[in-house]
Amino acid sequence: MASTTSAPSEASKPFDIVATYNELLRSDPDLTMPIAAIEALVLLLTHSPSSTISETLDLLEKSTTHLKKSIPNPIGLSAGTDLFQRYLITTLQRPGQLGPAGDFNAIRAHLLSNGRLFIRRAKESRDKIAAFGRGFIRDGSTVLTNGGSRVVASLLQKAADEKGGPFAVRFRVIYVLSPAKDSSAEPEGMETVRALREKGVPVATVPESAVAYALGKADIVIVGAEGVVENGGIVSRMGTYQIGLLAKAMSKPFYVVAESHKFVRLYPLGQYDLPIEQRVIDFDTEEDITDGAKSQSVAHSSDVVDFTPPHLISALITDSGVLTPSAVSEELIKIWF
Amino acid sequence: MANSVDSAQTSSPSVPTSAPATQQSTDMSSQPPSQPSSTGASKPAKQPKQPKANAPAAGPGEEKLTGAELKKKAKAEKVARRAREKAERETTGGAGAGPANPTSAKKGVAGAGAGGKDVPGQQAQKGQKHRRGSNSQPSATEQKKKQEDKSVAVFGHLYGQPRRTTIAGAGKEVHPAVLALGLQMRDYVVCGSSARCVATLLAFKRVIEAYTTPLGTSLSRHLTTHLSHQITYLSTCRPLSITQGNAIRALKLAIASIDPSVPEASAKATLSDFIDSFIREKITVADQVIAASAAQKVQDGDVIVTFAGSSIVKQTLLTAYKQGKKFRVSIIDSRPLFEGKNLARTLANAGLEVQYSLVNGISHAIKDATKVFLGAHAMTSNGRLYSRVGTALVAMSAKERAGGVEVPVIVCCETVKFTDRVALDSIVVNEIADADELVPSEPQQQVTGLFDPVAAAAAAQPDPKKGNSKTAAASAPADTTPAPDASPLSNWKDTANLQLLNIMYDVTPAEYVDMVVTEMGSLPPSAVPIVHRMSTNL
Repeated sequence: MASTTSAPSEASKPFDIVATYNELLRSDPDLTMPIAAIEALVLLLTHSPSSTISETLDLLEKSTTHLKKSIPNPIGLSAGTDLFQRYLITTLQRPGQLGPAGDFNAIRAHLLSNGRLFIRRAKESRDKIAAFGRGFIRDGSTVLTNGGSRVVASLLQKAADEKGGPFAVRFRVIYVLSPAKDSSAEPEGMETVRALREKGVPVATVPESAVAYALGKADIVIVGAEGVVENGGIVSRMGTYQIGLLAKAMSKPFYVVAESHKFVRLYPLGQYDLPIEQRVIDFDTEEDITDGAKSQSVAHSSDVVDFTPPHLISALITDSGVLTPSAVSEELIKIWF
Repeated sequence: MANSVDSAQTSSPSVPTSAPATQQSTDMSSQPPSQPSSTGASKPAKQPKQPKANAPAAGPGEEKLTGAELKKKAKAEKVARRAREKAERETTGGAGAGPANPTSAKKGVAGAGAGGKDVPGQQAQKGQKHRRGSNSQPSATEQKKKQEDKSVAVFGHLYGQPRRTTIAGAGKEVHPAVLALGLQMRDYVVCGSSARCVATLLAFKRVIEAYTTPLGTSLSRHLTTHLSHQITYLSTCRPLSITQGNAIRALKLAIASIDPSVPEASAKATLSDFIDSFIREKITVADQVIAASAAQKVQDGDVIVTFAGSSIVKQTLLTAYKQGKKFRVSIIDSRPLFEGKNLARTLANAGLEVQYSLVNGISHAIKDATKVFLGAHAMTSNGRLYSRVGTALVAMSAKERAGGVEVPVIVCCETVKFTDRVALDSIVVNEIADADELVPSEPQQQVTGLFDPVAAAAAAQPDPKKGNSKTAAASAPADTTPAPDASPLSNWKDTANLQLLNIMYDVTPAEYVDMVVTEMGSLPPSAVPIVHRMSTNL
């Protein structure tokens, strides 16, 4: 199941973690990468016949590395798998019925139920974030955002939903859209734009090249993130870094909205220190006409990511509160130790 | 920064060990300048070290002279008199303190007024006036007059007692191993905060092994006081490092938590196990973990800049090299300890490509740098790095590089080096080493220095451009020094208006540090207090 070369006992059950993961992501558009990874691992444990702790951990380890290898950008995903693994180990180390001395079947049942609970909670975290973040959208303000982040979308929609109440705000949105992969499809984020317009929020869509031009009209910038790294920076879709730089230059507050399960134990020192291979900058001496498919696969902004360093970020709005970038490492240490 | 014990001890040819050796000889004869407040005792330049009890009493003595203080002062003066008599008996070994130097003595009068910014110093002089007047002997007057305050005013609070130079006067409770260690630390034979911490713990292990509880007390009560004697002795040799403080605190806690009913032998075994595991967990294994994770940040083609000689940075670079990474190392070093020489040799012997330069060439060395790795003496709770003086300059050069891409600055630091103290600048908390360390100059390989400057200039006449510059360089030191081989600063203590500052550490702002690699993971500097709290509460 983990890989074709692994133990023969696993081969008896054809559970493909990569396919499961992709299927989960496809079937539920609200699902984030780390949660999909955790769900896939929970499913893996349900299917696996493992009966000892070390066997379970070993299986988990193997499947995780396999999954990470077969996904082009495993940063977001690794937040989920690391968290699950950490959770598993701490549960197993705890003394008592569910500790190493206890009955393994009980442990497994406990793990599975808790894993599901975790997934449910993670899905609920978006509402929590929206509750925290709503205060940042003031009446009469203009918000600049980008990408297809579901958390940002839910936050903006939540703010728009408050009609006539004491917290009702009127705000406008500048949505930075990047062109879709193939020209026929609509760009990512168009759905949110439509939903917001339906709720009566005036939305302007601008191309990525117009960010600097449009930023003068915006009051705050809100972006989503694929992963929040240890120093408080974010790994996010390509183009976020430049928005952050421009917001800093124009001294507009730059907020990041992310669930706390997106916190990754990763410490990039710069753009080129991410643990993934990205072929964004590709030097060539001649135009490549023949290989049309290749040029399309390279450097599409919804596939590739960049790193926004912490000094550009005003605050991170997460389900465990509004954090400064430096508080992220504190949260991560709390999880890991 | 951390020269490990083993490498530091094998460093016989390098300067760090030889510099203290020369300085030791001068210390024996001439009193270090750093005693502004000692009353009558500080008049003669030649005088052995004062009894320890004298110094703390002298501070308040100037403010209000109560009966007890006067008594103490009289006592101090008596000691001084005796010392002077002794010094006069053996006037032969005058190291640089030329009493028959009329110009320096004359200047000394003005210098005493100008340099005496310290109020206690001036008051001390007032107190001596009557003695000065009565004493008509010329050499003695001159010696008194040139008692210029040689401590740099801004750092005046840091001049404590001068470092201990002998084991004479150490209490009988002090274990021989600790006696030896104290002198080794004083001479920088054991240097670097990790090495000092390990060496201290190992010495204390021997202290505990040799310890027997006296009758009428229990081990957990008495051993702490017994250790305090050792600690006091060590701190007179060189101020304790943060790591030593942390380790001692942990050890004392372990001693205090021993049940008094536990038999002595097993209690001692427990403690020596504790020390072993402390060294292993907090330093040995921690270093391996840090080296492994910091080495991951080294990439092919990197040019890594490091400052002075940190053992953990050395380990990191060697680990990265063993992983087959191709990178260059540029070592920045500084006077007077030259800790980077050892590092350069070790890395070069291992096969790495090493460039060595002094800190005054930092702007060139930083030009092609891609990463900066730094060791630490301590990390403070506001995320600042407290390390060998010059570190802040290197970090700043990397971060503020004009027009260049930012170079990440990575600090490798065990969590035992974290402290809950806060450092806003490098003035409030620092360590001042003996300024004499700055004096010795490198043996000059100067061809023109051998000749008379006039003759050399005449000889160089055919090629005026080249010759002039060379002779100028040669004659400049010749003007100021009596002997051609001696350093121009060799009699700095007798030179008016001249103060030497040999500061040991500086503080790097947290903004200049991108990442702190510890055994508990990589952190931003802002996370230091959290990790410190966790690692001490565990």
